[in-house]
Parts: sequence; C-alpha cells; structure tokens
Amino acid sequence: MAILEEPIKGVKLVKNYVNGEWVESKGEIYDVVNPANCEVIAKVPVSTAEEFDDAVQAAKEAYWDWRSTPPVSRARYLFRLKELLEENFEELSRIQTQEHGKTIDESRGETRRGIENVEVACGIPTLMMGYNLEDIATGIDCKLIRQPLGVFGIIGPYNFPFMIPLWSAPYAVATGNCVVVKPSSEVPLSQMRLAELVEEAGFPPGVWNVVNGGKAVVSSMLDHPDIAGLTFVGSTPVAKIIYEGCGKTQKRVIAQGGAKNFLVVMPDCNVQPTIASLMTSFFGNTGQRCLAGANLVIVGEDEEFYKDFVQKVVDTASKIVLGYGLDEAVQVGPLRDKGKKDNVISYIESGIQEGAKLLLDGRMVKIRGNYPDTCFLGPTIFENVSPSMKIGNEEIFGPVMSIMRAKNLNQAIEMCNASTFGNGHAIFTTSGKSAREFRYKVTSGNVGVNIGIVAPMAFFPFSGMKDSFYGVLHTQGQEAVRFFTESKVLIERWF
Amino acid sequence: MRFNTTSEVISFSRRLEDESAVFYQTLSRRFPQEGSDLSSFVKENKKNITQVERSYHGVITDAIEGCFAFDLDPEEYELEPELLEYTNFPEAIDCAIKIEHKIKSFYESAAEQSKSLMADVPRAFLMVAKKRNERISRLKMLKS
Repeated sequence: MAILEEPIKGVKLVKNYVNGEWVESKGEIYDVVNPANCEVIAKVPVSTAEEFDDAVQAAKEAYWDWRSTPPVSRARYLFRLKELLEENFEELSRIQTQEHGKTIDESRGETRRGIENVEVACGIPTLMMGYNLEDIATGIDCKLIRQPLGVFGIIGPYNFPFMIPLWSAPYAVATGNCVVVKPSSEVPLSQMRLAELVEEAGFPPGVWNVVNGGKAVVSSMLDHPDIAGLTFVGSTPVAKIIYEGCGKTQKRVIAQGGAKNFLVVMPDCNVQPTIASLMTSFFGNTGQRCLAGANLVIVGEDEEFYKDFVQKVVDTASKIVLGYGLDEAVQVGPLRDKGKKDNVISYIESGIQEGAKLLLDGRMVKIRGNYPDTCFLGPTIFENVSPSMKIGNEEIFGPVMSIMRAKNLNQAIEMCNASTFGNGHAIFTTSGKSAREFRYKVTSGNVGVNIGIVAPMAFFPFSGMKDSFYGVLHTQGQEAVRFFTESKVLIERWF
Repeated sequence: MRFNTTSEVISFSRRLEDESAVFYQTLSRRFPQEGSDLSSFVKENKKNITQVERSYHGVITDAIEGCFAFDLDPEEYELEPELLEYTNFPEAIDCAIKIEHKIKSFYESAAEQSKSLMADVPRAFLMVAKKRNERISRLKMLKS
C-alpha cells in the first residue's frame, strides 16, 4: 500500500482569522513539525494580547447582528459548513495526521466526530427552545427563554486538533454567540483549514475568529472583560488555573483536564474482542487521549486465566505496526514531539525503578519506513504495578499499559475510585450483574461496558469527574446549548 | 504483507471493485450481445464502493477499533482479470465467476474478522458479499 498524499506542501505560514480577514501576527514565529518525518510544515505565530483584543472587539461588534439573526438562519450557515466539511473530509483528516502524527484511520474518526457536533448544532431551533406555563397564578403566565451571552473563548489541545474545538464552537455560534478559538500552537493547521471553510460557508465577519498563540492569549482570555466564558481541554494543572481564573473574573467555564483510566477485565470477558479493544484504548493515538486506557486491572485469582490473558495482550501489542500515519498499514503513529516522548520515557524508567516488571519495552522501537525515531515510542507494558507507583497514579499520556490485579470486582472498583481522576473507566465482562455493579459504583464521568474508549457522541455531553473536569455543564449536545445561553424568565400579567 | 488496518481493507475493497469493473467493461465490448447485463455489473460495483465507504466514514468506532481487528492476506484475493484474445464467451464467464468467488470470499472474511468490534462496516461487507452471490447465479445463467 502506498503512502497517502500529503495535503500540506512546503511550509505554510499560519495566520489569524479575525473579523473575516486573514491577518499576519506580529508575534514570535515557531516551527510546526510533522512528528513522523521531522519536517517543518508550517510557521505559527505566538499572537500578542493586543491581537487577541482585536479579535474580541471584532466578535463583540458582530454579536448583536448575529444574535438577532433567527436561529433557523444561523442553522443554515451550519448546514453549509457541514456540507463543506464533508466535501473536504479526506483533506481535513490528512492534515491532522500530518501535523499531529495519528494514523489516517484515527484522523478520519476524529473528523467524523467533529462533523457530528456541527450536525447536532444544526438542530438549534429546537434545541434552544425554552418552555412556558400558563396560570402560575390566576391570570399570570411564565415563560423561559434562552439567550446568548456574547463572546466566548475556546482553547483547544494538541491531541485532537480538529475535533475538540468543535465540541463547543458550533453550539456557541448556533445559540447566537461569537467565538475566538485558540488552537494548540503545536497543531494549528486543522483549525486554520476549518476557519477557511467557515469563511467559505459565509459566516458574517467577526462571528468565528481564530487567534494562534500561547500563554499570553490564554491569560488575556481569562482577564478580558468582554469574554463571557470559555471552554478548555488540556492537562489538569492548567484546567485548575483556568477554572480558578474564570471564578475570579466571573466567567462561565468548562475546564476538562487529564485522566488515569482504569480498564477492568473480568475473567468471564469475551477475550478476543476485549484484547482488540484494549489495543485501541491503550495504544491508539499513541496513548495521547484523555479517554485512553492507562491501568489494566485483571480481576480474580485464576492464575491460568491471568497468565494466558496477559500473554495474549503482550503478543498482540508486540505486533503493532509503528510508522507514519499516512501509510495505511500503520496502526500507531509517533508521539506529538520529542519532549513528550522523553516525558513518557521518564515514566517508563520510574516504573522500572519502583519495581514494576517490564513485559514489553516500547523504547526498542521498530519503525515501518525510513523515518527518524525522534518521536516514536512503541507499546509498553508493565505488570506488578500498584496504584501507589508513579506509573500507577499519574497521567502518562503515552502508550504505556500498567497491569494490576484485584481479588474481586469490589476491590477493582475501589482501585478505580481511589484515583484522583474520573474520566473514562470501563469494564469488560459478559455478566450483566458485574456491569451494573461497576457502572453504579464507579466515580467516572464516562463509563464503558465492553468499550475501550468511552467517548460520548455529539448528542451526549462529554462528562468527567474529580480532577478530570471542573465546571457544571459539559461540552456537546444539550448541555453545551445550556452553557452558551442564559435562561431568562418572563412573568407576565395584563391588567 | 498482511492487512491490519481498516483503511487498508477499505482501499483494497475499492481496488477489487475497480478492477472487476474494468473486467466487465472489457467483457461487454467483446461480447456486445450480453452487454447490458455486463454493464449493469459495472454500475453495481460503483454502488458497492459507495456503500462500503459511506459505512466506513459514518462510524467512528469502526474506524479506530478496526485498526486492530483485521488480519488478512491480500494475495489470497488478488484478481486475474486478463482476457486472452481467443477466450470465448463461456470461458470468459468462468473467469468472471472465479473473480466473483474471490471478491465474495474477501468481503466475508473481512466481515467475520471485524464483526465483534465493528458495526456498520461488517454489515456493509456482508451485504456486498450477498450481492456477489446473486451475481454468480446471474453469471451462471448467462453461460447457460
């Protein structure tokens, strides 16, 4: 099979999209590097606070016209955007692979998930409806109306460059708000291409803005008096800062943080599909998912089952093909950059030092094709891991599986619940009773039963608990509509 | 080399459909008396590609979990669609039937290997395999 054609040729200069114009930033310029072949594919600016302010002012000016555009007309802009996203599906997917490193199958999945949010937001005339009641007292009626709030900031992470800003932006604009999106400066090209399609869809200037940058833009977003609220997806320490910062400046906020997901395997599980599902969960997207499996808890004292199951996991993982994601034969791509790889390696070293047994060492990496090993790290598996070890309780964000054992389901649930995170725990079993017990007791915003990546679809909220989520309402679906609107209650009497 | 990822399997299914479409185009030119039946197979092949690719692009879980579901040897399904100058109609139909059996077998194996994890894609594979079976019967009737 051939390597698919790269959509980004040469070195692209990333610009900001402000008030319907493509604007060059005066900020410092950094390289965007394809992690598979280490080639520079773009130059991205670190925009200044003033440049961010320009975008907010443009959004503020566009707001009143846009919020008074009927929801059914706003939905039509989104329908057009959805069409354009479908038309450019393959290009959008390949851009993600080129800038992030994930495989083409993963990128296509990400594109689909992003588009699904646009599809859901197209239903805004229905989704945004309020409710009413006649005669709350004799002759007095009451109605609830949902109104937009103004300008929202959207901060995207590096692991899903296309999809994650779409968990928020379509709902924000559908409800009549304007947005300023700040993509991760490591992977700005997907959002740049998306903004081009937004422009092509004919959105009025100022409704959808994109400002590239780093800390200065984020700080400005937190402090800016004209930002009504923001959504963030990233690490837990930064999510905390965002949440606290929004509290200080009285902004609405959705702050989604990190994770340490436990995947619990019962001895009655259906082994073959369970193992395939585990491979995707632990090693897919090179472990750079907040819903990736991190700890594999095997339940029961049946030594034969344990040994046989672990052997199958190791055998399957050791056959995974690493390489450039545009090569269709590749199952796992590189980590986003060398710094991230070094960080994961430091966890592997700590696991060895703390006495965990290394069953598969991803540092001994074999890459398909002639690519430098700079960012590549293969599937790594430890056993005899305890929750007190660093690799057992901290988020690694790489392709590392830590195997633990639990005597019974209750103990496994206790291990899950002892984690400070609560994002996407899952159980693999053929027993309905065990599955119910697990989903009932586990403190995790998203829970899987025989699902390795517990990613809610666009019409459900992307939930989270404990250190994985700070806020009240979530991104996606109805909750996003509520987040981006205020409930105005009208009480009416006619004399 | 074996196929492991969904992307590989989908691309290969497109290749099989394209190659067999070219075969039927050639056949319909060589044997114009059966041209309409043979040309309808070309149209059907295009529909099969659409059906499979739509399923693939429509379901996220299929795309990502499928990357660890397959273990197919493409050599088992390579087509030999060459028609020799002196091949007569019954021989050409025998060749077509052989091709159809291979393609049907590919779709059935791909569906079987991915059925536990994936939903829409294996269903699409099985629907195409079923159409292939019907086509084999039609080809046998053409021969007789």
